[in-house]
Formats: sequence, structure tokens, C-alpha cells
Amino acid sequence: MSELAIRRGVAPALAVEGLTYSYPRSSAPALLDVSFEVAPGEFVLLAGRSASGKSTLLRAACGLVPHFHGGEVEGRVTVAGLDATRVGPGELAAAVGYVAQDPETQVVSTTVAAEIELPLEMRGDAPGDRARAVEEVALALAIPHLLGRAVDTLSGGELQRVALAAALVTRPRLVLLDEPTSQLDPVSGDELVWLLRRLNEEWGVAVVLAEHRLERCLAAADRVVAVTAGRIGFDGAPRGFLEWTRGDDPMLTTPAARLFSLAEIEPLPVGVRDARRTLGEGSAAPTTVPHPGKGVGGEVRPPSRFRRPRDRRKDPVALRAEGLWVELDDGSGPRDVLRGIDLAVAPGERIALMGRNGAGKSTLLRAAAGLVDPAAGRVAAERMALLTQNPGDYLVRERVGDELPGDAGRAALRAVGMEHAIDADPRDLSGGERQRLALAITLAGRLDGDGVPGLVALDEPTRGMDRGRKEDLHALVDRLAAQGAAILIATHDVEFAAEFAERVVLLGDGIVIADGPSADILSGGWYFATEVARVLDVPGVVTAEHGAAFLGGRASDFNRHIWRKSSEARGAGG
Amino acid sequence: MRSPFAYIPRRGPLQSARPGAAVAYLGALVVVAFLYSNPLVLLAAGAAACLAGRLAGARAAVRAALRMGLGLALLIVVVNALVVDRGETVLARLGDWPVFGQVDITLEAIVAGVSIGLRAAVTMIAFAVYSACVDPDRVLRSLRPVAARSALTATLVSRLVPVAAADAGRLRDAARLRGPGAAEVGRGPLARRLLAGSLDRAVDVAATLELRGYSLGGPRGERRREPSRFDVRFYAVAAVVLAVAIVGKVLGADGFRTYPTVQIGLGPATFAVGAVVLASGLAPWRRGGRRV
Repeated sequence: MSELAIRRGVAPALAVEGLTYSYPRSSAPALLDVSFEVAPGEFVLLAGRSASGKSTLLRAACGLVPHFHGGEVEGRVTVAGLDATRVGPGELAAAVGYVAQDPETQVVSTTVAAEIELPLEMRGDAPGDRARAVEEVALALAIPHLLGRAVDTLSGGELQRVALAAALVTRPRLVLLDEPTSQLDPVSGDELVWLLRRLNEEWGVAVVLAEHRLERCLAAADRVVAVTAGRIGFDGAPRGFLEWTRGDDPMLTTPAARLFSLAEIEPLPVGVRDARRTLGEGSAAPTTVPHPGKGVGGEVRPPSRFRRPRDRRKDPVALRAEGLWVELDDGSGPRDVLRGIDLAVAPGERIALMGRNGAGKSTLLRAAAGLVDPAAGRVAAERMALLTQNPGDYLVRERVGDELPGDAGRAALRAVGMEHAIDADPRDLSGGERQRLALAITLAGRLDGDGVPGLVALDEPTRGMDRGRKEDLHALVDRLAAQGAAILIATHDVEFAAEFAERVVLLGDGIVIADGPSADILSGGWYFATEVARVLDVPGVVTAEHGAAFLGGRASDFNRHIWRKSSEARGAGG
Repeated sequence: MRSPFAYIPRRGPLQSARPGAAVAYLGALVVVAFLYSNPLVLLAAGAAACLAGRLAGARAAVRAALRMGLGLALLIVVVNALVVDRGETVLARLGDWPVFGQVDITLEAIVAGVSIGLRAAVTMIAFAVYSACVDPDRVLRSLRPVAARSALTATLVSRLVPVAAADAGRLRDAARLRGPGAAEVGRGPLARRLLAGSLDRAVDVAATLELRGYSLGGPRGERRREPSRFDVRFYAVAAVVLAVAIVGKVLGADGFRTYPTVQIGLGPATFAVGAVVLASGLAPWRRGGRRV
């Protein structure tokens, strides 16, 4: 099939037929008899749990599997008329662009302009054509101001856009993205998804996007392909996908769909606008299909569950920062990353530390752990255990037991529920297990009898995690908090924050811009708000369970009070 | 944390010039440092390199290079004073030392050490300014017509070395954050872990290069000529500095002798060469933009 025919929409941008693939030295196949097509100009969302085969499928579509990774392959993958199982990624480079999860690993040049130009240079394009293509793709992605920058001075969001620009500069007909928003704050994540949608509509680029946080991109997708244990579990429209999750994999559903399911409202919404329209039209109809997740009235926690008046100045503290200033120099001159932070964390308190990329979240945790010195003010933490963003940095030996020897090590393993893996190689553990092991390493020797450290801090622990693994992490956090540890988690994941945190501290440009109960903070905005909060726009209602109780007329007196206040406020405002 | 010597794109004349022009300009200062032993000329070359770096916005690089260069110069002075017993002006007799034997500190050995140390410092400052102001991508791109794959490999090294340094910093932080009950991490395990991580990164980068079409034969696009109105300035300054330095050398401007007694030539020729070399440090100067 010619390229022209493909551009006219005659042939699919991607066709996978009976693909079965096993990685080298792997006993089980990663993909099993997978077949699906992506039409030119289509926006396809690839859903699935961690390790279900999404990334492998994307790598097969760009030729890395099997040409780079090796392994055994059966079936056929056709991209722009080329069989990707026969020709390598180099030959496919003009037809398909690929953006991996970690942009740091896919940037090979020193400056942004050189990075974007490299694929064109490899292809042998003339200098004038290269300059024009770089300029155009930079304009399309709104990054012309970055062209002269060094890549190691870019933020995660900027680096992700540069990687996307390098993938798009050859004008491929198909672009594949593997969890591109996992390292981005809610603002940058939403911007990236809608940027992809705009490129998809204006340039006619077919997009295949693998994501865990489906609530961010379901509304932008034309179609959803769900991968379950290496097989295609579902292939159809977004609304059909939500119906499919009811019976087949409730972990993949979105918060808004769970809200509607729990409240027995039909049809399930594919996004915030869809949900608000349904609720606004009053077309909500009871459903006879019960959701296999949490039932209405089962475990509804009113927003007040964490509220307890506290005089923080008199309470004992696990962390106290007073007028904390931290100055860092990234090579372009010193910069105040934290500017006069005042913060107190009480023992047993569970706090989400939020804010956009570069707001100072990680620096605050590092200052509390003594990794960076304050320029002014002071910070003190009670027996703090900090787990930084990459758990792999803690794993240096080839046996779990060698990382954690002696009674103290065993106690730490028990505290995180990992004593069964004492003889395992850390590299053979799953992502969630590696994280728990790294946490055990930071806890070892800090456990006081059956107690725990005064403060357990985690930096972006839910990156790349599916909902099941987040629930495991939530259970671990509950366990540590129940033993008296204060929990401080820096995260971009508003849904996870709504689940685990009683208090949210929102940082912006190095200062605390909001600090209060999670139900208040996560329902009072647009970007730093849960999907349910954006749907209902009711102060204090942030989770599907709260929302369902509210919609079902089974809200607590507190919720009724909140609703009354909200209505009054709207009446006064209107 | 970025290295002070890391390249930072700026809009200054030195950064805008083609790599050849920048290398010619900074290389001329290094040539002067190796051509001359007279401390006055060496000081002028060092001051010119510092001035050039400062005008190009590479203050951090100049500061770091000064610290390192002067430290190295001091070390050279001390070692030279201890191991060289030539010279007639004995400042101190330190007696018999186990390795050095009879140690006499002479003024001549100290001055000779100062000259060698200054030469090393000038070279380090010039390289620091080069590193902070000349885009390695442009340098390597200019080499691609000669050796495409080697140039790309060098690009990767220049990109991955700072990444490995950042990885090492993260691993050190993680080692500090281990609980007191966890196994201690010595330098050996940390180095092995860093190596394993670097290999993983190398595999990722190799995959990216495959996706960019590297297997098709490496970069083969025609070289883009990026215009710069400052090239002529730097080539001209380099030519003038070299010409003056060579002519001055022939005319005896490098009048400098250390043994048996110190004789430093401070004639008009030496001052003229020093003045020209010092003035060459102004080459990266740029007038402020005109207001419309």
C-alpha cells in the first residue's frame, strides 16, 4: 500500500494481526494473539493494569519489539504499509513517532534545537527543510522559546514536550505515547492531552496513548483498547469501555463513572462535561446493574471524617518548618526554591503535598531530611524516613535479605509486608514491591519496638501505578499512620490524595498557597481538584463515594449542610 | 546540580560565533601561554581569559576555573620549590628530607614555579570558558562530515556524563537516607549500582537512536551553516594576538630567565604584547541593544 493511499485514509495507520510475543528468557508471552487496527487520524486510548502489555504493544508498533529487544514473535504488525516485524525502527522512523514514559532517557543532544533536528539529519533532509520543520513543530507545541535552551535545564513537562517534538518533526502518520503524563502535574498533564487532541485534529496524526490516569484522557479519545494480561480485553467506544469495566475490570473505571455507578445514574460519563450535562439535564435514571466496587452506603466517609480541631502550636510535631528558605543553583545562578515556608505536621497526620512541577515539593522533603541546607529559617523532623522518587536508587544488592540484615532489617520488612521476599533478587520484584522494599530500607532501625518513625515522607510514589497498586500503597500508609507515623506524600495524583490525605498543603513557586482539609482544597479549584469535585462542584465532596451519597440523597447531615451552604452561596452569587 | 563548566546557551557573541571562531580565539590565548614564560604576559593572558568569560556570562565557570587553576599553580610552586635546588638566592635551608635529600628553597625556583603555574591556570580558564560558552552539539556537528558516528558518540558522551553525575548524586542521597538498620552501602556497591544504571540508560539511549533512524547510516544531512556576524571579530582577534605574540617573541618580548638568578624583561615590547593580549579579552563584549 502506498504512502499516499495511507494518507488518504485507505489503509489503517496501524494494523496488528495475531501478534504473540515473548521477551527473551521469559516463560510467559507478554502479548498473546493481539489483533486491532488504528485508522488514520484516530485517537486511541490504550488502557490496562500495570504489566498488562501496553508498553510492549507500543514497542511492537514502532519496531523496537522484536528488533531491539529480541524475543520470539508471531503474527504481523503493519505500519504505513511496512511490516514492523521485518523492518527495523529506523525504517519505520518516518512513519511512526514514539514517546516513552521517562523523557530523560530519550533525549540524546545537548540543546533542544539539536534534539529536534536530529531525526531529520539522520534522514538526510536538506538544511533549509530541517530548519523549517524544527520551527513548525516548535510552534505547534508552543516551545519556540525553548529551542536555544540546554536540555538539562528543562522541567519534566518541558522535556516531555521536547521529546514529543522530536517524535513529530518527521511528520509521522502515527504517534505512540507511553504514559506521557505520569511525571507531570495536573496542569501540564491536561495541557499535553489536549495538545495531542489538537495535533490529532489539525495534522491528522493518529495517536495511540497508553495511560493509567484514564480520567484525564478518556474524553479526548475516539476509541479505547483495553489490554488484559497480554490480550485485548475490550476494543470500542469510551462509553462502551466504561460499561465493560463494570463487569470485567472495575479497577480501570474512572472516578466519574464510579460516581454514576454508585449513584445508579445512566449513562456512564466519559468526562466531566458529559457528566455535568447528564446531571444538568436531569436525565439521570436508576440503573439495575450494580457496580461490583464499593456499594452506596457501604463505606461512605463524610468529608468531616478527618476534621478535628487542632491547636498545632501546642501539639507535638513530627515536622516543623519555620520561615524556611532554600536556595539552589542549577548553573544559571542561585534561585530561591522555597521562600519562607511555615509548616507543622502532627504525629499520625496524613498530608498530601501538592503543586505544579518546580513548586518546591521535593526540595521541602529534602530539606526536612537534611539533604539540602536552609538558606534561612529552620526545619526539624522527628525520626524522618524519606523515600525519594526512584525506589531503584535504594536497591544496590542482589538479595533482599542482604539489603536488610539482622533483627532491625526483618522488623522493617515485616512493617511493609515483605518478609516473604527475603531471598528474592530486588530486580525480580514488581514495581510496587520494589517501592515497599525501598521504604523498608529507609525504615530499618528507625522502628521503635512496634512503633514507626515520627514522619514517613514519600516523593511521587504513585508514578506509573495502576489503581490496584495505589490501593496497596494506601493500605500501607494506613498501616503506618495507625502506628503513629505522620505521613507526608508529595504527589500530582489528586485522586490518590483525596483517598489517603486528611490535609492538603498546596505549594506554588516556593510558598504555601493553600493549607487545609483535603476535602476543601481538592474541591475548590479546577486543576487541583478530583474528577468528582469537578463534576459536582460541591464544596467538600471529592470522592465517588461522597458524591454518590450526595447524589443518592443519602448524604450525612454534614453533607446536607454543605449543600445548603453551597446553594445559598450560588443564589447570592447569581 | 549542574556543573559550573556545563554549556549554557546564551545570546552573547562568543556563544553565537561558530565553534571554529571561538576555538581560534580561546586557542590563541592558550598558545600565548605556552609561547611565553614571562609572568607579565602570562598574567595578561589569564586576565584576558577571565575577562572574556565574564563578558560572555560564564562567571561561574571562570570562578571555578580560577579556584582550581590557582590551587594547581600553588601546588606547582610548592613542589618546584621543594624539588629544584637551582638558583643563587637561597631563602631557606630545610636540611635533609627523606625523599628530597638536601632541601634549599630558592627564590628562582619559586619564580619558575609561578611561571609554570600561571601557564597551567591560563589553560584551565580558557578551557572553562570554552566549555561553558561553546555549544558541544555545534562542535560535534562540524566534525560529522569527517566521522559521523564518532561525532555522535562524542555527543552522547557529553550528554550522558552529566546524567551519570546526577545519577551518582541521587544514589549518594539514597545511601544517606537508608535507615540505621539497613546494610551499609560502601563505595564499591554504589559504583556497581551506578555502572548498572548507566548501562540501563545507555540501552534506553540506543533505543531512542534506533527510533530516530540511526541504523540508516548515522547523520548524513548536509551541514547547516548557521550565520554569525561575530566570526570575523574572533578570527581577527585571534590572528592579531598570534601575530603580535610571535613577532614579540622574535623581538625578545619574552625576556625571562630564572636561573641562576631571576631576570624578568619588562621592556616596551613585553608591555606591548601584554597590552594587546589583555585587550583581546574584550572581544566578547557586546554593546547594549539600541532602543527603538
